[in-house]
Amino acid sequence: MKFSAIRPIALVLSRELVITVLLLLGVSFVVFIILFASPGDPFSVLLEGQLSTAEAKAGLRDAMGVPRSWYVQYLAWLAGMLSGNFGTSIRMGLPVLPEVLRVGFSTLILTIGSLIITLLIAVPIALYSALRGTNKISWPLTMSSYVISALPVFWLGYIVIYFFTHKLGLFPIAFGFSSAGQKYRWLYQLLPIFVLGVGNGTISEVIRYLRQEMGRVMAEDYIRTARAKGASVWKHAFKEGLLIPVTEIIASKIPFILGGAVIVEQVFNWPGMGRMAWQAAQDRDYPVIMGIAILAAVFVRMGSLFQRVVYVAVNPRASKE
Amino acid sequence: MKKYYQISGQISEFSDLPFWKKADVVDLVYVGYGLLIVALVVVSYILGSVNLLPRDPQDIDLQLIMAPPGTAGRLLGTDFMGRDILSRLIVGIQAYFLPGLLAILIALCFGTGFGVLVGYRGEKFDTGITYFTNLVDSFPRLVLILLVIAAFKPDIYYIMLVVGLTNVPVVASLVKGKIQFLKQKNFIEADIALGLPTRIIIFRHILWHHCRSLLIIQATLGMAEAILIETSLSYLGFGVQEPTPSWGNMVQSGANYFMQGKFWPSTAPALAILFTILAFHLLGDGLNNILEDKRST
Repeated sequence: MKFSAIRPIALVLSRELVITVLLLLGVSFVVFIILFASPGDPFSVLLEGQLSTAEAKAGLRDAMGVPRSWYVQYLAWLAGMLSGNFGTSIRMGLPVLPEVLRVGFSTLILTIGSLIITLLIAVPIALYSALRGTNKISWPLTMSSYVISALPVFWLGYIVIYFFTHKLGLFPIAFGFSSAGQKYRWLYQLLPIFVLGVGNGTISEVIRYLRQEMGRVMAEDYIRTARAKGASVWKHAFKEGLLIPVTEIIASKIPFILGGAVIVEQVFNWPGMGRMAWQAAQDRDYPVIMGIAILAAVFVRMGSLFQRVVYVAVNPRASKE
Repeated sequence: MKKYYQISGQISEFSDLPFWKKADVVDLVYVGYGLLIVALVVVSYILGSVNLLPRDPQDIDLQLIMAPPGTAGRLLGTDFMGRDILSRLIVGIQAYFLPGLLAILIALCFGTGFGVLVGYRGEKFDTGITYFTNLVDSFPRLVLILLVIAAFKPDIYYIMLVVGLTNVPVVASLVKGKIQFLKQKNFIEADIALGLPTRIIIFRHILWHHCRSLLIIQATLGMAEAILIETSLSYLGFGVQEPTPSWGNMVQSGANYFMQGKFWPSTAPALAILFTILAFHLLGDGLNNILEDKRST
């Protein structure tokens, strides 16, 4: 790649990094505000059954070194996070960050795998109906994509488990990483990835968006010119008609798929972030769920960073906007 | 006077044809199906709230456990405690109906407010709204809801407040886009030149005449999302608790019998979820194609 092609990407990358950092600051602030506004603080629990006057509470706060004003509390919490201290899990008694990173990795596998499945299903249907229009084949496909998008993913999970593990005996009951040491253990992970990829409820939207974008590009003058002079239409339409929409879809659907992962991990016992978030919400273990929310936001921002980079790499003029 | 119209696809916005004549048959089928299911849901909700049910949803009948659908007196069969599934499905609508309406109301009110503010009062709020949108989009919704559950309590109205607030940016950007489109057409300028008060321009000319269909579409899509969130959460055990039925916890409690080959107790509510969410999606998309004069979004 020439230097002139790298420069706009570097420019955009640096600008987007700044935006990402600002957004993550905003995310941490929202998380803090939600917890700050929540009823009940640890001090009233500590003083329960004792003399819980306002002075006693204030004295306890001072004794434990908790600053009074909310912004000092926020800054202290933020500084702790920046130095890698996300607090300690109330239930497990372990530091949050390593735990969340560990499960975050397995959720990342689930998320990326299901994105690939979604695209493998959606892209051919979208391309076919963009190129051929609505006909006897594409209409049923589009209609069934609607039905699949409305399918509750937990129920789809049960059906798949019933047929594949119970009836056919192809997959073990224990999924994810619990089957460590076995030879083809990555095969077992395909089932939840497939279920989330099909049932995350975005397929019909993805198909519609890709079809619309491809259809728009196919109607452009330069495609007609390419066709007239006998050049490859596919080569001309690929970047704008497929590459950019697909990266946009990837960036915008990551939050949905992470949300769906909460349920799929529950159904399949997949030891991931969603399952940990569910457990934490049950135990009101908020240091954990704060860490998960922030890590999830990091995933989402990384997705849109990737989208911007691809967009500028394809279309360097965009870096000057 | 010449009428500018073409058959479906690029219909002129000045076409005088009524909308059902220039619409695609497919879209009309979508909307018809959607309206049918919505009517069914509303009627069932009313029947459930005045207690006009085939059977008492809490009535335990240990003689008739896991009866298949079509058993006499129990149209959709019974669950693992012999309770009538049909009655429980009808009562289960109450778990999401009012909370879903609350979520829609919040999204539409605040969304329109912000959208008008940004679209009408200039671009100086524009970056603020973009930042806010990106901020909201950074959270996976279910994770944000779990955070709120951990911080407050698993109350469906809190959850729907979050769902509503997270939908505000979508509505705001749609309203803003519409107003900017109208500005391009010198529509608002003409209104001001006519000396109309701002109140009339915003409420009657912009919101009522041009954003009406857009807001209805967003409301249907918002309801679909509310149902999805409610059923997912009650499946996860955070929404409505047993013995009060909700479609999500019915799927969950029936799932224990799934591996024994008894699909029905969890399949019935799952199909209810499927058909209802499908209906709201198709209604939204069909209305979008018909009223907004575009084939797809």
